[in-house]
Amino acid sequence: MLMPDPDQDVIDRRDAICAALKKIVPAACVIDSQESMRAYDADGLSAYRQLPLAVVLPETVEQIAAVMKWCKAEGVKVVPRGAGTSLSGGALPLADAVLLGLGKFNRILEVDYDNRCVVAQPGVTNLAITHAVQGDGFYYAPDPSSQIACSVGGNVAENSGGVHCLKYGLTTNNLLGIEMVTMDGEILRLGGKHLDAGDYDLMGVMTGSEGLLGVVSEVTLRILQKPATQRALLVGFEDTGSAGTAVGDVIAAGIIPAGMEMMDGLAINAAEDFANAGYPRGAAALIIVELDGPEAEVDALIGRVETIMRSAGASSIKISQSEEERNLFWAGRKSAFPAVGRISPDYLCMDGTIPRRRLPDMMVRMASLSQKYGLRVANVFHAGDGNLHPLILFDANQPGELERAEDFGADILRSCVEMGGVLTGEHGVGVEKRDLMNIQFTEEDLKQQQRLKCAFDADHLLNPGKVFPHLHRCAELGRLHVHKGKMPHPDLPRF
Amino acid sequence: MTLSTPIISVSSLDEVKSAVTDAMADKSRLEIIASGSKRALGRKCAYDVTLDLSAMTGIIDYQPEELVLTVRAGTPIAEVQTALAEARQMLAFEVPDYSHLLDTANAGTIGGVVATNLSGPRRLTAGAARDYLLGFEAISGRGEAFKSGGKVMKNVTGYDLSKLMTGSFGTLAVMDEITLKTLPRPETSCSLIVQVDDFAAATNKIASLFATPHEPGSAAILPAELARQAGLPLNKDTDKDTDKDTDKDTGKDKKSCVIVVRLEGIDISIADRLANLQRLTGGDRLEATASEALWAKIRDVRLFTAPVRDVWKISCPPAAAASVIDTIKASHDISYFADWAGGLVWMTGGTDTLGTDLRQALAGFGGGFAMLIRDSGTTRQVIPPFQPLPGPMLALHKRVKAAFDPLAVLNAGRMHDGI
Ligand SMILES: Cc1cc2nc3c(=O)[nH]c(=O)nc-3n(C[C@H](O)[C@H](O)[C@H](O)COP(=O)(O)OP(=O)(O)OC[C@H]3O[C@@H](n4cnc5c(N)ncnc54)[C@H](O)[C@@H]3O)c2cc1C
Repeated sequence: MLMPDPDQDVIDRRDAICAALKKIVPAACVIDSQESMRAYDADGLSAYRQLPLAVVLPETVEQIAAVMKWCKAEGVKVVPRGAGTSLSGGALPLADAVLLGLGKFNRILEVDYDNRCVVAQPGVTNLAITHAVQGDGFYYAPDPSSQIACSVGGNVAENSGGVHCLKYGLTTNNLLGIEMVTMDGEILRLGGKHLDAGDYDLMGVMTGSEGLLGVVSEVTLRILQKPATQRALLVGFEDTGSAGTAVGDVIAAGIIPAGMEMMDGLAINAAEDFANAGYPRGAAALIIVELDGPEAEVDALIGRVETIMRSAGASSIKISQSEEERNLFWAGRKSAFPAVGRISPDYLCMDGTIPRRRLPDMMVRMASLSQKYGLRVANVFHAGDGNLHPLILFDANQPGELERAEDFGADILRSCVEMGGVLTGEHGVGVEKRDLMNIQFTEEDLKQQQRLKCAFDADHLLNPGKVFPHLHRCAELGRLHVHKGKMPHPDLPRF
Repeated sequence: MTLSTPIISVSSLDEVKSAVTDAMADKSRLEIIASGSKRALGRKCAYDVTLDLSAMTGIIDYQPEELVLTVRAGTPIAEVQTALAEARQMLAFEVPDYSHLLDTANAGTIGGVVATNLSGPRRLTAGAARDYLLGFEAISGRGEAFKSGGKVMKNVTGYDLSKLMTGSFGTLAVMDEITLKTLPRPETSCSLIVQVDDFAAATNKIASLFATPHEPGSAAILPAELARQAGLPLNKDTDKDTDKDTDKDTGKDKKSCVIVVRLEGIDISIADRLANLQRLTGGDRLEATASEALWAKIRDVRLFTAPVRDVWKISCPPAAAASVIDTIKASHDISYFADWAGGLVWMTGGTDTLGTDLRQALAGFGGGFAMLIRDSGTTRQVIPPFQPLPGPMLALHKRVKAAFDPLAVLNAGRMHDGI
């Protein structure tokens, strides 16, 4: 993966830059020794490591604004970082960029039950939001598996989902407002405690923008009342095709479960070894369906789902009879990543989405790719919304295996797009999928996205080298060819 | 638009593209319309050419079990809804029909709904139009074709331009194919009707219902007078004063407001939830047919008595609605009701300064947004129909507009001066 050439001039000015930053934030908030910076040299995509120019940990929004303003004036790049759990390298440092960590923004500012929201600083962890309100029966719905560690600012930047987003949506559907700081050092408020405004939905655009448009300095999140009951079914199938059909049948019957997850044989056995969750070891596919709501409703729908699963050819069905049993059903799924980590020295976690009906085709494709690359793949899916998480097993100590695994992953993502899907469902493009963007988008699609970037950050100083395979200068992107019929007009630069 | 404005009717993206490039070369301004049902929304501007998209119709792909619908932007909303109903599905954000307010013949097209981000009562719990647009194909104001998003439910590849396009009132790009997430229709529904002292008591009560696991789906607040006119059977201790509930001092022990809470789902669930909520609030059950009819009136803003004057749509923190209304009532003779648990207030009446006073009140009570929806005279010439943006936000909006439509050929000035 090639990152843009670092600016040697900036690197040469490192001491002066650190000294200047120490005047903007308390000196202790600038980390510039090689040793201490090592803790920040990668995010969750740990195959890629890079020491930043310096790490800055501001304590107030005014400090963020001042850092941004100074960096803009000095032409210094900035990479925002939350908890560093991104799986796509979005928070990967650059040698010539300041890494702006939001770790000190760790306070919940307000719990507002009257308006059913929580106002929090961006460095608060996802799970801490739920912890703050669960005593009163509320929770924050998006629940990425990394929720004990990842930050809500990072969730906004990645538009993170979780196993319950089939029914409750991704971050973007649960976000009411943000405060953000632009590369110019302006502090803007988008949205608030109200629902819709009538201006451009810039909050919607900020969500999932992977730290390229601005730094999120505060979030207002919608909280929901916890459902009265949650019950789950654990369903085994002898072939993945029938399992895929069953998932579609549930939706077609008008049922939107709180979660509908699927695992393949390799994942089932790895998870069972790890968690002893009572998974059917012989099954080719396992579906976990969770229903939530009032008890009467859940009981009725469990019955309907059971019938659907039986007619789709389920080989085994268990229905949770207690909270303990429901948690056990999930224990295997939730430990799928570490479980796979035990059967292989390393793994790559992919994240494409396909139309659900293509699942059987995808399984066939993956099996043949697995043969081609000589690497095993374990599959966990957010089956309800067609989001795949193939885990490609490899050993980084074997020369060439990482590259082979990456090529395998790229082929899977290519197949996703070919089947009518997309490159990433929830982990983001980052550096990992950057060079595949041309598969899904035309050059014109990407240029239009970058024009939007120019409206926020005209000098490409914020998190450059991520998401877009080619960086075009804003002046070039803004150029217009105006012509009508045969009458050519001169090019008009617009930016 | 004047009658003499030439109309170009287009039926393909290529034709849109040539119309836009021609406009760029001619430095002419295009008004983008399909059915024209929402033409009265926004600023009144002069355009050189009307670009008519009403021929860009048809459902391209609909896979109910995928919950995905791809449709051309000019397709009438009624046609979309018929197709969805056949598969027992819906657009969960509940498309409102403002034809009654805007004096138009129909509810318009799906493209118009997306471009204006209009959502109905279920918006409170199910999200807005912006939450359901998965992707689109369009021609930008640069005359270039581009797409964003996709045709699957979960996608974070690249910037989420679907959000930007929703509610941009055609000022950034002309959409053709749009892909929406659909959801199964609830099997049935009913409402709980509860009478309370006043508006503040209503928002409090609703907040307490949302602090239970009984899943209220939508929640409206109607002054007793409007509720009675809408045909709701009210108890005798209700405010008998037909001069609205302007009298705050004597209103103490009168029930001047009615809460309507809608429950949707399967029969057994609704019965259970209703019983639980009734235990907390008392109140009466409104059966499916009557409930649906009432919610259609709330959704389409058909509760005010004719002749309707200017109508304002106010989005505010639900708990702030009572204060905003009280402030306005002190100096304006208004009629109003609320949806979204208080977070959406519809207001009519008042004097010329209503809009300005509303915006000032909102700023004082936690922020929000007031938009002029129906202009019965010339209000939008004197008060911006869209709430003015603070300086840095306006500047950013202008840069975003320029990124898509640098020569301002698309619906120029529709939202703000220059946007
Ligand atoms: C074991 C594991 C399981 C995971 N499971 C899921 C899952 O189920 N669903 C899911 O969606 N993701 C999952 N992830 C991915 C990851 O946790 C999410 O993307 C998360 O939202 C990242 O948050 P973070 O605070 O760690 O952000 P970081 O990794 O620090 O940063 C991520 C990106 O956001 C930017 N950023 C961070 N904070 C800000 C800010 N305040 N303002 C602007 N930009 C910012 C960074 O520049 C970077 O581009 C998982 C990761 C791991 C390691």
